[in-house]
Amino acid sequence: MDRDPSPARRRFDPPLPAPPAALRRGPFRPGAFRSPAHGPRTAVVLGRWLGAALLLCFATGLISHLLQDPPGWLAPHLPPRPVNGYRTTQGLHVIAGLAAVPLAGAKLWTVYPRLFEWPPARGVLHLLERLSIALLVAAVLLELFTGLLNTLQWYPWPFPFRQTHYWTAWTAVGALLVHLAVKAPVIAAHWRRAGAVPPSVPPPVPPPVPPSVPPSGRRAVLAATAAAVGAVTLTTAGQSVPWLRALDLFAPRRPGTGGLPVNRTAAQAGTTAVPADWRLAVDGPAGYLIGLGGLRGLPQTTADLPIACVEGWSADARWTGVRLSDLLRRAGIPAGSAVRITSLEAEGPYRVTEMPAPYADDPLTLLALDLDGRPLTPDHGFPARIVAPNRPGVLQTKWVARIEAV
Amino acid sequence: MRILRGALLLGGLALLACGLVGLLTDPYVTGPLGVLLWAAGLVALHDGLWLPLVCALGAATTGRPVLRGWLVVAAAVGAVAVPAVLRAGDDHGNPTLLPLPYLRHWLLFLAVTAAAAALAALVRRSVRKARPRGR
Ligand code: HEM
Repeated sequence: MDRDPSPARRRFDPPLPAPPAALRRGPFRPGAFRSPAHGPRTAVVLGRWLGAALLLCFATGLISHLLQDPPGWLAPHLPPRPVNGYRTTQGLHVIAGLAAVPLAGAKLWTVYPRLFEWPPARGVLHLLERLSIALLVAAVLLELFTGLLNTLQWYPWPFPFRQTHYWTAWTAVGALLVHLAVKAPVIAAHWRRAGAVPPSVPPPVPPPVPPSVPPSGRRAVLAATAAAVGAVTLTTAGQSVPWLRALDLFAPRRPGTGGLPVNRTAAQAGTTAVPADWRLAVDGPAGYLIGLGGLRGLPQTTADLPIACVEGWSADARWTGVRLSDLLRRAGIPAGSAVRITSLEAEGPYRVTEMPAPYADDPLTLLALDLDGRPLTPDHGFPARIVAPNRPGVLQTKWVARIEAV
Repeated sequence: MRILRGALLLGGLALLACGLVGLLTDPYVTGPLGVLLWAAGLVALHDGLWLPLVCALGAATTGRPVLRGWLVVAAAVGAVAVPAVLRAGDDHGNPTLLPLPYLRHWLLFLAVTAAAAALAALVRRSVRKARPRGR
């Protein structure tokens, strides 16, 4: 970093005493790290890839958050189109997050020698900068770790996943911007390959198989990292990208075989046995109760809508049932109303959900009775479930008991 | 450059403050200390155990870029595959969660990529023998 020892600056940034030189051992020794690939040019190339992955995760994560928990002013404007919008953004979220695992690993290896910088803190500003780096690394590692385990529904930690992952994302991106501000001169100096003709082709992506000339340390590191990103993506992305399904070896979900995956089974929700006298309650000025036979007697609509889970997987399905808007109009609930949907399940964070008006009015939003031409099974929400376009799976309420205007 | 740097710094500090305050005040996050401990634990494991291991392996494989590349790929895929291997079968009664034979897939992946890497190393060696120029 550029050091400016002007007296004015020194007042705000007093130097700190260096520790005794006798402590400078092990990795702190000068020359302890010899690979030329630890240099700033590698850090910039890997940083660009990692930064792009992280920002993509942040943007798609915010979309997911806003679709699930919209602030009051936004809810009436949430778009039910494109139909595949959420499956795309959330699929990308998990793909970019998994790609960030090798990218973060390579980046942190590249800059590992900087952890043993000597003296550990030259001055107060330098100390603060190093603390912000510690925060950046901690937030990124926590984010990748919790995100990965969440896709397996594995929660070994004592804090709630969703809220922690959300706030840690803001922390990580904030620390990333600070990091970019601090390193700006180094980044600018190494943005292009040393000796490259300025306006030539974009940054080099080295071929995965090294040519006959022994690759320089940096190129080998970049090639290995690119190969690792490719391998991770190809062996997991099949859970959200249908044409990559044949290569899927490690994704926690496999849409297509064994039917449509579910997040919460009827046994988990306590809804395996639906009361024999089940009737859907639609509350409104002309509220009514209606049984399964009555629902099947109403005009039926078939729609192809994906189930797109917050955990990244998604799958196509063909749903048949009654348009939600038809049910609402029969109860005297006018178009433009948001509705509250209550499930039969006894508890769970999504037992009661609210559906903003654009979804409730959409002609593709159904109270579905059939999945792929057969009556719903208990795991898929028998006797009736909600499906709407461009909505996170957790909000596609199963085992519906009651619908009312908010 | 100056303005851009200043904007990045201020914006970054604002987002960072948002994240930390949010974490401390979220009604669902009742033990922020637990979050801090897990984050610090991850950094300690990564920088104190994992990276020294990587550096040692790197030092033991100097001059063998294909082997190193294979180790990098195996480690990256392992990071996402091994958790699934460890959890396979632990599906809370949900047969659509973790439905694949993850251990078998993991061993298969290692075997196939190791074979490909061995082949690449062989080709590389014979090409270099044919053109003994080095660098
Ligand atoms: C997204 C997560 C990122 C993490 C976790 C991360 C982590 C780190 C760490 C720990 C250091 C060492 C800091 C020190 O003590 O000097 C560093 C240095 C550096 N980073 Fe990043 N970084 C990230 C993103 C980026 C991005 C997006 C760029 C630029 C495109 C970048 C460019 C650099 C540069 C140029 C250095 C200095 C390398 C040197 O002086 O040898 N980083 N990074």
